[in-house]
Amino acid sequence: MTQKLVIHVNGKNRTVEAEPESMLLYALRDNLGLRGPKFGCGLSECGACTVLLNGKAIHSCVMPLKMVEGQKVTTLEGLVEDGKPNKLQQAFIDEQAAQCGYCINGMIMKAQALIDQNPHASRDEIKVSLEGNLCRCGTHMRILRAVERVTQGQASQGGN
Amino acid sequence: MSALNDIKTKSRTNLGRRGFLQASGGLFVAFNLFGDAEAVSASQPIGSVQAPPPEGKLYAWLAVHPDNTATLFTGKVDVGTGTKTALAQIAAEELDISVDRLAVVMGNTSETVDQGPSYGSRTVRYAGPQIRQAAAAGRAVLLDLAADHFKAKANSLSVKDGVISDLSGQSISYGDLVAGKQLDMTIGATGTSFAMKVAPEAKAKDPKDYTIIGQSVARKDIPGKITADFNYIQDVKVPGMLHGRVVRPYGVQAKLESVDESAVKGIPGFVKLVRRDNFLGVVCETEWAAIQAAAKLGSVLHPKGPDAYAAKWSKWDGLPQMDNIWDVVRDTPGTTAVVANKGSVDQAMAVAKKTLKATFRTPFQMHGSIGPSCAVADVGKEQAIFWSGTQMPHEARRDMAKLLGMKPEQIELRWFEAAGAYGRNGLEHAIADAALMSQSVGKPVRVQWMRWDEHGWEPKGPPITQDLEAAIDDNGNITAWRHKMWIPTFLDNTLIAAQLIGRPDIVGAVGHGLPAIAYAYQFENADVACHGDGRVALRTAWLRSPAQYETTFAMETFIDELAAETGQDPLAFRLKYLKDQRAIDVLKAAAKQYGWAPRPARGQAPQAGKPVKGRGIAWVNRDDSRVATIADVTVDPSNGTIKVDRVVVAHDCGLVVNPNGLRNQVEGNVIQSISRTLHEEVTFDHSHVTSRDWIGYPILRFKEVPDSIEVVIVNNDPKYPMHGAGEPSTCPTAAVISSAVYDAVGIRLRDLPFRPNKLKAALSQA
Repeated sequence: MTQKLVIHVNGKNRTVEAEPESMLLYALRDNLGLRGPKFGCGLSECGACTVLLNGKAIHSCVMPLKMVEGQKVTTLEGLVEDGKPNKLQQAFIDEQAAQCGYCINGMIMKAQALIDQNPHASRDEIKVSLEGNLCRCGTHMRILRAVERVTQGQASQGGN
Repeated sequence: MSALNDIKTKSRTNLGRRGFLQASGGLFVAFNLFGDAEAVSASQPIGSVQAPPPEGKLYAWLAVHPDNTATLFTGKVDVGTGTKTALAQIAAEELDISVDRLAVVMGNTSETVDQGPSYGSRTVRYAGPQIRQAAAAGRAVLLDLAADHFKAKANSLSVKDGVISDLSGQSISYGDLVAGKQLDMTIGATGTSFAMKVAPEAKAKDPKDYTIIGQSVARKDIPGKITADFNYIQDVKVPGMLHGRVVRPYGVQAKLESVDESAVKGIPGFVKLVRRDNFLGVVCETEWAAIQAAAKLGSVLHPKGPDAYAAKWSKWDGLPQMDNIWDVVRDTPGTTAVVANKGSVDQAMAVAKKTLKATFRTPFQMHGSIGPSCAVADVGKEQAIFWSGTQMPHEARRDMAKLLGMKPEQIELRWFEAAGAYGRNGLEHAIADAALMSQSVGKPVRVQWMRWDEHGWEPKGPPITQDLEAAIDDNGNITAWRHKMWIPTFLDNTLIAAQLIGRPDIVGAVGHGLPAIAYAYQFENADVACHGDGRVALRTAWLRSPAQYETTFAMETFIDELAAETGQDPLAFRLKYLKDQRAIDVLKAAAKQYGWAPRPARGQAPQAGKPVKGRGIAWVNRDDSRVATIADVTVDPSNGTIKVDRVVVAHDCGLVVNPNGLRNQVEGNVIQSISRTLHEEVTFDHSHVTSRDWIGYPILRFKEVPDSIEVVIVNNDPKYPMHGAGEPSTCPTAAVISSAVYDAVGIRLRDLPFRPNKLKAALSQA
């Protein structure tokens, strides 16, 4: 049966009416209308659904809603600062680091979690961090360069 | 008659539907910030069906808005390759308006002309000239309007970024001239689809005056995709929408014997089981409920067999033994197409100093879209509306008319981008699934395939086998060449749902394999032919560079074998037998960028299991684009892994509209084809596909990406018309890697994929 659960999403308390056993991804997408996290596999294999839970990157497709009640969830939408892409997002735009872009939510969320922990991560550390994120278009080189723009301090300040 | 009389005061009726194209400029709120936000709100009414606009009218292609922005309408769609921006550049160039102020509406059948499907690297090549002419006609119309306005001659006026000035310095914007009205002028169009000629009288710019074409304009779609301000097909919500999931047969051709509805009735939000013959779907109020219900019915296959869940299927085990698939392909009756037939190969073989023969085998591979197929359907008695990410919206509209027994005029398809598909994957099939479920429940239904549906049921690239044979004379020259291909269909455009409801022929045709190859070597005796089959074992359709990835692998690897056998440098060897100047140019350009030093392949067995480096080269003519690729690899004999270190690609697709966009495509082709070469093989048992997730069907991960991919653009010149870049650089990769592995460790890999166990086994036998 559905229940009302409160989760803290992108800085606001949001009430979701859903089954506690259902996965966080569907609450974010279907109940809250967020478009950042994507359904890719539902199996924790591709990373397209990645969000930050209390600052850590997790796969929302396998995270039961009841486990995140009252906790802090950040989605791709939540990285936007004052209506402008944040530094990492701007680096992806500057590198034109997307083709279809469906995986990019996961790439950015995972990389953001890495940067928050390790602001000067090396290329190898970035690769290790993104190892669980699949991209089918083959945009990997650009994704690496985009993250490096931030970790190597070459990023522009965001905005247009 | 003045051009002004051709502007209708009524704005294009269908422009307002998505609430962002009204003359009020509502579009541009979001447009200012990130460029591509389109509101799809569940509160907006669905509306009624509209037919496509007439291709001979200017408004079918262009709208000019009061704030001096404009919209380009095209039946082409951007499948993640950047064509939205490239086509916008072509239109903006002719229209003399900044590309930032030109929005692009793609694929909506009510708003766009059918310019053919967006496949085969053909969007810029064929739709580009159509849009160029339409935009050139548009500019001429706007100049005529301004001439009326200024009481001046059109040829005395000048245009800068959508503002027209006369000789005295007075000026007026396009937006003020058009004043929110529809551009009802006739510009003329003949023919259909790729062959359509639009506004043949319009005079396009001299390419030497181009200021927008050839620039690395930032892609319009990327900011929205990066900031979650972008609607994929998966994001579409319509009023009253329910959620559907498919439950596919356990065995590919199994019959649905019974369904125990009680297993799912108690699920909160359950609405209806949709059963028609062997088609089974479940519709619920929420996505979660639909997923739970489909699982209980058996959407995730149970190892216990076809009757372990609530949907009971007949036992069906008609698929051939997986290891034996190439023999099955070889034995299938089909038709033979001759590519080259010169001299007498048999005679030359008989007198040759030496002959060489090799067989190449490539498996079923999948498109592997990261986002599973999705569609929304609202099927009523009088009309049906679809929301889809298909690469062929206009064709899908006609297909749905056939499936539902309606007229095309009763159908409309509203297009939204999907995750990259790289060919015909499940997107077209999901439309049909949604159609049947919506028709059954009488409400809009959104169907999204689960990962196992996508991996299990998306149409695959076909398994192919090829025999190559050559004769060598005393001087190390090739005197004869034979290349035989066995290729199952990659043209199947039938629908899974149609098959499941027992009407497999109602939409499309299975087709048969074609010789996807451009044979260009100048050997004295040559015999190149393809045996084209229909469907073999699993449903197959076009996958990026259909069959030419595979034929290039065999042809170019065998050329490398001949060069090695005769102790010749593989680049010089190729050049000796080529007359195609553009092929020669890309090979030389790649060699120059790489720093190619002539030498024969080493081909020595590795010493004491230490990692060894090798290099490989190959080229292709894919539909008139020429690509040469060179790569360095490192082979680790201790575990059989192959790592691609450095890739150099010389790419000639003629005039390049957006160089950075091209590089993005080439990098993507290279990485995806490395993945296909090293990892990818669909597995199946006698009942069904068994590689149903990313563990069973692994693709390339970050640790395996090359250190660098260098792209050299060749013949970027208007005398070479714009050709395709979506596929060609996929083709050489497998041959490059195979040849590089041979150079490194002396093992010739002729069966894809080159997984570590395969190479390790070969090394242990060497």
